[in-house]
Amino acid sequence: MTEHVSQADVRAIAEYARIGLTAEEVVSMTADLNAIIDSLAPITEYDLEGVPPTFHPIGDLSNVMREDKVRGSFTQEVALSNAPKQEDGSFLIPSILGEGGDR
Amino acid sequence: MTAFGSMGIAQIKAGLAAKEFSASEVAAQTFENIARADEQVHAFLETTEALAQDAAARIDRAIAEGRFGDMGVLAGVPVAFKDNMNLTGTHTTCSSRMLENYVSPYTATCVEKCLQAGALPIGKLNMDEFAFGSSTETSAFGPTRNPWDLERVPGGSSGGSAAAVAAGMVCATLGSDTGGSIRQPGSFCGIVAVKPTYGVVSRYGVVAFGSSLDQVGPFTRSVEDAAFVLNALAGRDPLDCTSQVCDVDFTANLAEGVCGMRIGVVPAFMEAQGLTSEVREKVEDAIAQLKALGAEIVEVDLPHARAAMSAYYVLGPCEAFSNLARFDSVRYGYCDPDHADLGSQYEASRAIGFGAEAKRRIMLGSYLLSSGVYDKYYYPAQQVRTLITQDYTQAYERVDCILTPVSPRTAFKFGEIGDPTEMYLSDMFTISINIAGNGGMSFPVGLGRETGLPVGVQLISPAFKDANMLRVAAALETVYGKAPVAPAFAEEKGAE
Repeated sequence: MTEHVSQADVRAIAEYARIGLTAEEVVSMTADLNAIIDSLAPITEYDLEGVPPTFHPIGDLSNVMREDKVRGSFTQEVALSNAPKQEDGSFLIPSILGEGGDR
Repeated sequence: MTAFGSMGIAQIKAGLAAKEFSASEVAAQTFENIARADEQVHAFLETTEALAQDAAARIDRAIAEGRFGDMGVLAGVPVAFKDNMNLTGTHTTCSSRMLENYVSPYTATCVEKCLQAGALPIGKLNMDEFAFGSSTETSAFGPTRNPWDLERVPGGSSGGSAAAVAAGMVCATLGSDTGGSIRQPGSFCGIVAVKPTYGVVSRYGVVAFGSSLDQVGPFTRSVEDAAFVLNALAGRDPLDCTSQVCDVDFTANLAEGVCGMRIGVVPAFMEAQGLTSEVREKVEDAIAQLKALGAEIVEVDLPHARAAMSAYYVLGPCEAFSNLARFDSVRYGYCDPDHADLGSQYEASRAIGFGAEAKRRIMLGSYLLSSGVYDKYYYPAQQVRTLITQDYTQAYERVDCILTPVSPRTAFKFGEIGDPTEMYLSDMFTISINIAGNGGMSFPVGLGRETGLPVGVQLISPAFKDANMLRVAAALETVYGKAPVAPAFAEEKGAE
């Protein structure tokens, strides 16, 4: 099996994807990802010179807008109803500035 | 006790119209039957008695007032929904710890359309976590068991949707299909399972996995019932800009037969490595039956289908990575307590909230979309998508419908397939249809000679000609009969 990603790569990907992995999970994830990426090889074996991409099966859509008219939407209470933490009608998160802030 | 779940839609509606029973009785006995049968199967994550009784009361009032005929195509019919479909006031967990406590503040269009058509909402059905899987084993709330053999998986990801119908708990459910998640469990559980063409059914309110691949469709035990549900579901929804106007009556041509139809078979699929002999035999038998019914069998080639699998395992995880970024532990979903900074709250919440397969797909998508890697896999996968779509377009110049296996084998045992890449092979025949976007369905053609378990054939329509595959399925139904309730759950009374 080719090493497409190293354990260091996996740690970097996890940080980017905001998923905390334990040291053991990094080991198994590295093996799993390398096996899966190996299985993707056929995609690299075609001569695709000049072949246009298809990003979506319904291809001819762009900037689909509805009429700019006010209509019903969630109340603040409903929008907050599934929030794990809330305060004064807002979503509550840990401090992101100053000491103890985000990296 | 009348087993309403083992009746078909027309039978239930005829009984209601003739006042042989009331919609309230249908609802109450459906829940009694589920309480008994689901102890063994575990198809349901939640049942919605109050919502069903309210809907039943409306139907009963209409019957009393002589308005039953106006109540819609699913009036009084119990219907249950995959747990990635929002229904106001119910939990919509996607079988994930991440959404264990999430309560829907709105209703998905596909669910709303069933309710508007008079359906009795029965509950929410188990699935692979966020639809990542082919066995329903990745559900955070325990697997669903196959009603034909409780030691085996029902398939996935819509395993609960398939098992509930196969066990006669309800006659119709909805599932969603990104790479085979309707058709493969339909095959494993021996029922009719339809993934319509992308764009036939609105995706609004269905928790997204692969937004360019996902499509909602029905599970039933007859082709006619699938057509009834599709009639309720199909059409343009202003809330999903990819949904299309669809003025088709899917029941209209079911009785036309296949005489004069050209049906494609793919020799390379029939010789595929991993296709078991019992599945191949049943598929060949179905081809022979269609020929006997007057269809012209034409060999077609889908030369790029070999790349569909790898294209899917590029595109699916990339879209999933993007879609699952919304689970931020702030607006909804699991939040790990006591973090001093937002970064560590994100990382811990997503580490605990997502299961192993969800994490694998997110990580894979993150890698594949990274700079440099994008050009090696993601962009070529979208080019391969063009080639796969062209293969189908060319094939449909010669045929009206294509027939292939659904799954290379019948239902496997729990834990039998542990390796993710081996599990992915479950969908080898179904995936290219999602990549191209056309319609595909599974129709049950009896039991495999070796395992004695259900085998389905896949019928594939040109885009937006889903009526073609339903017509072929209806012809096969005249030979193989309607799908039975799994023997261990078949009641003497009411069984078809």
